[in-house]
Amino acid sequence: MFDFPIFAMPLFGHRFIFAFDAIVHVFVSHAAVGGSIVLALAQYFAIKNNDRKFDELTYKILFTLFILATAVGALTGIGIWVHVNIINPAAIGALLRVFFWKWFVEWIVFNVEMILLLMFFLTWKSKPIGTPAKAGHFKLVVGYAVASWLTMAIITAILGFQMTPGNWLASEFPAKPDYLASLMNPSWLPSLGFRTFFAIIWASAGAIALSWFYGGDDLETREKGIRFFSKILYLSIIPMLGFGYWYYLQFPQAAKDLFVLGVITRRLAANPQLAVQVTLGLVTLVVVSSAYLFLRPKKAPMLAALALILGSGALIGEFERVREFVRKPYIIYGYMYANGIRVQDMPLLNKEGYLKQAVFLPPELRQITPENKVKVGEYLYLFECRYCHTVNGINSVKTRVKGWDEPTIYHRIGQLNSPATPYMPPFAGTDEERAALAAYLVTLNADSKN
Amino acid sequence: MQFNFIPNDIPLPIPTGGLEAVDVVLTVLLVVAWLVHILFINVLLGASTGSVYFNKRGARENNPVFDRVAYLLTTPVTVCENMGALWGVAPLLLVSVMFTPLFYAATIMNSPQWLHIIYGNIAAFLLSYLYKYTWHKLEHRKSLHLAIGTAAVALFLTLPLVFMATVQLYLTPTTWTGNTHFWDALFRADTFFRLVHFYLASFAVTGLFMMIYGTAKRKSDDEVTRQAGDVLVNTGKSWFLLPTLLNLFAGPLVLFQFPSYGIENFFNAGWFWLIILGVAAILGAAYLTVKDFFNPELSKGKLWSIVGLAFVTVLSMATLRHGMRLSLTSEAMAQAKTQSDEFVARSKTASDEAKTAPKAVAVATVSAGEAAAGKQGCLACHAVDQKLVGPAYKEVAKRGYTEQQIVDLIYTPKPSNWPDFAVPMPPQTQVPKAEAALIAQWISGLK
Ligand code: HEC
Ligand code: HEC
Repeated sequence: MFDFPIFAMPLFGHRFIFAFDAIVHVFVSHAAVGGSIVLALAQYFAIKNNDRKFDELTYKILFTLFILATAVGALTGIGIWVHVNIINPAAIGALLRVFFWKWFVEWIVFNVEMILLLMFFLTWKSKPIGTPAKAGHFKLVVGYAVASWLTMAIITAILGFQMTPGNWLASEFPAKPDYLASLMNPSWLPSLGFRTFFAIIWASAGAIALSWFYGGDDLETREKGIRFFSKILYLSIIPMLGFGYWYYLQFPQAAKDLFVLGVITRRLAANPQLAVQVTLGLVTLVVVSSAYLFLRPKKAPMLAALALILGSGALIGEFERVREFVRKPYIIYGYMYANGIRVQDMPLLNKEGYLKQAVFLPPELRQITPENKVKVGEYLYLFECRYCHTVNGINSVKTRVKGWDEPTIYHRIGQLNSPATPYMPPFAGTDEERAALAAYLVTLNADSKN
Repeated sequence: MQFNFIPNDIPLPIPTGGLEAVDVVLTVLLVVAWLVHILFINVLLGASTGSVYFNKRGARENNPVFDRVAYLLTTPVTVCENMGALWGVAPLLLVSVMFTPLFYAATIMNSPQWLHIIYGNIAAFLLSYLYKYTWHKLEHRKSLHLAIGTAAVALFLTLPLVFMATVQLYLTPTTWTGNTHFWDALFRADTFFRLVHFYLASFAVTGLFMMIYGTAKRKSDDEVTRQAGDVLVNTGKSWFLLPTLLNLFAGPLVLFQFPSYGIENFFNAGWFWLIILGVAAILGAAYLTVKDFFNPELSKGKLWSIVGLAFVTVLSMATLRHGMRLSLTSEAMAQAKTQSDEFVARSKTASDEAKTAPKAVAVATVSAGEAAAGKQGCLACHAVDQKLVGPAYKEVAKRGYTEQQIVDLIYTPKPSNWPDFAVPMPPQTQVPKAEAALIAQWISGLK
C-alpha cells in the first residue's frame, strides 16, 4: 500500500529524478541491445571479407559500447528499480509480485549476456582476424546479441503491462493476478518489435557517427563503415514503422487523446500542429544528415554525424516522454494511480479517510483540529500530490493555485480528474481532509505575497 | 512485540504458487546470490585498493614487478565490478519481494542518499575504466594516474556505507521513528561494527583470491608475470591473516549490537551453531596459512585446503546471516501482514457498499449546454454565478460575446481579457466542436 515513509525531492520532484535516470538508461540500453546486433553483423562482414581495417573499426566501436553498456547502461537499469523503489514503492512492489519469475529469468539471461560480453571484449586481442580462433570468438557476439535481445523482450513485457495490463486481475478482493495474461498483455509483442528496430536504428546511427570519428584520416574505412551501418539503418525503418503502428493501436482511447499533449506542454496546447511539426522536423534532420553521410561519406562534416545522433536521440526521447505521459493518471493502467493509490481502494479512502491508513503520519495528526488543519493538509499534499508536483520547483503546485482563495481551491481539488485535467488522479479522502488540503494550499499563496 | 511504524504489505500474493518448497527455493537463492555478490564486492574493494598500492610502490621503487602486480589486479576489478553489480540484483529482487514493507521503508528513509549506489557506482566504474585503459598512456605521469586510481577506490569504498545503513535499518524496525533518516542510521554503533567487519572481510577474501590468482600467474611464460605471481601469493597470505584475526573480535561486537529480541530468537532457534562452525573452520585456515607463512612454495593441496576451510566459514556466515534476518524481522512481517489483511477486508466492504449504493439520479432540468460543461470539466473551474478558478459564467455573459467568439475562446483563451486572474485558462482542446457550440449557447443565454 501507499503508507511508506515520505521522501520528497525538493525543487526537482519525483518525476524529474526518475526521468533523469530513465532517459540515460533508454539511450544506453537501446544502444547496447541494438549495438549487439549491429556488432554481430559487422563482425560477420569483417570475417567474411577478411577485412583487417574494418575489424579494427568494429573493435573501437565495441570498446565504446562496452564502457557505456557496463558502466552506465547496466547501472542505470538497476537505477530504474532503485528510483521507483523510493518514489513509488507501492507500484514497484506490485509489479515485482506480478513479474517476479519473469524478472528472475531476465536476471539469468542478463548474466549470460554480461559473461559473453566480458569474454568477447576481454579476449578480442588474443583472437585476431585471419586465425581459426576468430570463428569461435564470433559465436560469443552472436550469443551476446541473442541474450541482450531476450532481456529487452522481458523488460518490454513489464512496460507493456503498465500501459495495457489486459485482463490480468483474476480477482479484486483479494487481488489475484493471472500471471500468463499479464505477460501476454496486448502491447507486449508490438512494442517489442517496435523497440527492437528502433534500437537497431539508434545503434546504427551511433555506429555511423563513431565510424566518422574513429575512421580518422583513413577515409576508405570511414566510407566502408558509414555505408555498412547506414544500410542496416535504412532496412530497419519500415519494420519499425509497421510495429509502431500496431503498437499505437493497442493504447487505450484515453491515452491516445493525450498524445499531442505529451509532445508539447499544456501551455502550447492551443497549437496542436506544433507536435506534428516538431516530430517532422526531427525526422527530416535524421533523413537529411544520414543521406548526406551515405552519399558523401568522405566529405560529410562532423556536424552531419552529430545531427544524426541528436535527431534520432531526440525522437527516442520524445517517444519515451509521450509513453510516460499518456499513461497518466495511472502507473498501472486501471489498477493503480500514479500516486500509488489503488483504484479499488478509493471507496474506502473516501469513506474512512486517508489519514486513518497512513502509518508514517505523526499520531497527533490523525484527528483534524482547527489548529493542526494546515499541517495535516501538508501531509495530504505529500501523500497524494508529491508524485507529480513540487511546492516551488518543477510543476510547482504553488504557481498552480496562485490567486485562488480557499473555497476555489476546495472546489477545484474536488474535480482533479475532470476532463480538463484527465492526467491527474482524483483526490482520495473525506470532505474534511479535502478542506484541510485546501487550507494548506492556500497558505502557499500567502507566502508568495510576502 | 508491537511496532509503531510498520507499512502494510503489498496486497498481492508473493508468487510462490502457495508452495512451501518455493519458499525454500527463494531462501536458498537469497543466501547463495547474496554470498556470490558479497564475494565479488570483497575482491573488487581489495583488488582495486591493491592495484593502486602496488602501482605506487612500483613507481616509487622503480620496480617493474610491482607495476605488473598492479596491472594484473585490474582484470579482477573489471570482472568483479560487473559481476558484483549483476549479482547484487538478485538479492535486491529477493529481499524486495520477501521483505517488501521493511526493505522499502528503509530505502525510502535513506533517500536521496540511497541513490548513491547508482550514481556513485557509475562514477567509480568510469574512473576505474579510465585507470585501467590509460595505464600505458599515463606511464610517465604517474601522479595523475595514481590520483585517478585513488579516486575510484575511494568511491568504491563509500558504497558499503550506504548499503550497510540501509540493511541495518530494515533489519531493526524497532529503531524507526516517524522521522528516521540516513545519517541516523549511518552513525549507529551497529552499522559501524558491521562496516568494520565487512571492510576487514573484504581484505581477507582478497588475500585468498591473491593466493589463487598468484598461483595461476606463476605458470606464465613471462618472467615478470611469474615474479608478480610470487608477490601476489606472499601478499595474499598476510592480507588474509591479519584481517581474519581482527574479525574474530569484530564479529561478536556485530552480533551483540542487535536488539535483544533478535538475539534471543537467534539463539533459541539454534543458529549459533553456525558461528561455532564458522570460527572453527577459519581458525583451521589461519593455522594452515601461518604454518606455511615463510614458505615461498605454497603447494596446490595446501592452497585449496585453506580456501576450502575459508569457504565453509563464508557459507556458514551467509546462512547465519539469514538466521539473524529472520530472527529480527519475522514479528514485524507478521504485523505487516495482519495490518494489510485488515485493510483489504475493510476496502472490500467499502467497495461493495459503493457498488450497491443507489446512483444519484440526474436532475432532468439541466440543459444540454450545462450538461456538456459539466462533462467537459468546465465546472471544475467555473460556476454560473460565483467566481472560482475562472470568472462566473454570468459575468462572461455580460461581456456580450457572440456564440462563435465564445467557442473560439474555449480553444484559445485570451487571459488579457481577465487581468484579475493569476492563472490563465488552459486551452480546452478536449472539447468536441458540437459540444463547444452547445456550451457557448448556454453561456450566452445566462442572465
Ligand atoms: C499524475 C500526476 C499528478 C498528480 C498525482 C497530481 N497532479 Fe496536479 N497536475 C498534474 C499535471 C501534469 C498538471 C498540469 C501542469 C501544467 O499546467 O502543465 C497538474 C495541474 C494541477 C493544478 C492546476 C489545475 C488547473 O487546471 O489549472 C492543480 C491545482 C493541481 N494540479 C493540484 C494537484 C493536487 C492538489 C494534487 C494532489 C491531490 C495533484 N495535483 C496531484 C499532475 C498531477
Ligand atoms: C483550469 C481551470 C479552467 C477550466 C477547466 C476552464 N476554464 Fe474557462 N476560464 C478559466 C480562467 C482562469 C478564466 C479567466 C482567465 C482567462 O481567460 O485565461 C477563464 C475564462 C473563460 C471564459 C471567458 C473568456 C474571455 O476571454 O472572456 C470562457 C468563455 C470560459 N472560460 C469557458 C470555459 C469553458 C467552456 C470551459 C470548459 C470547456 C472552461 N472554461 C474550462 C479557467 C478555466
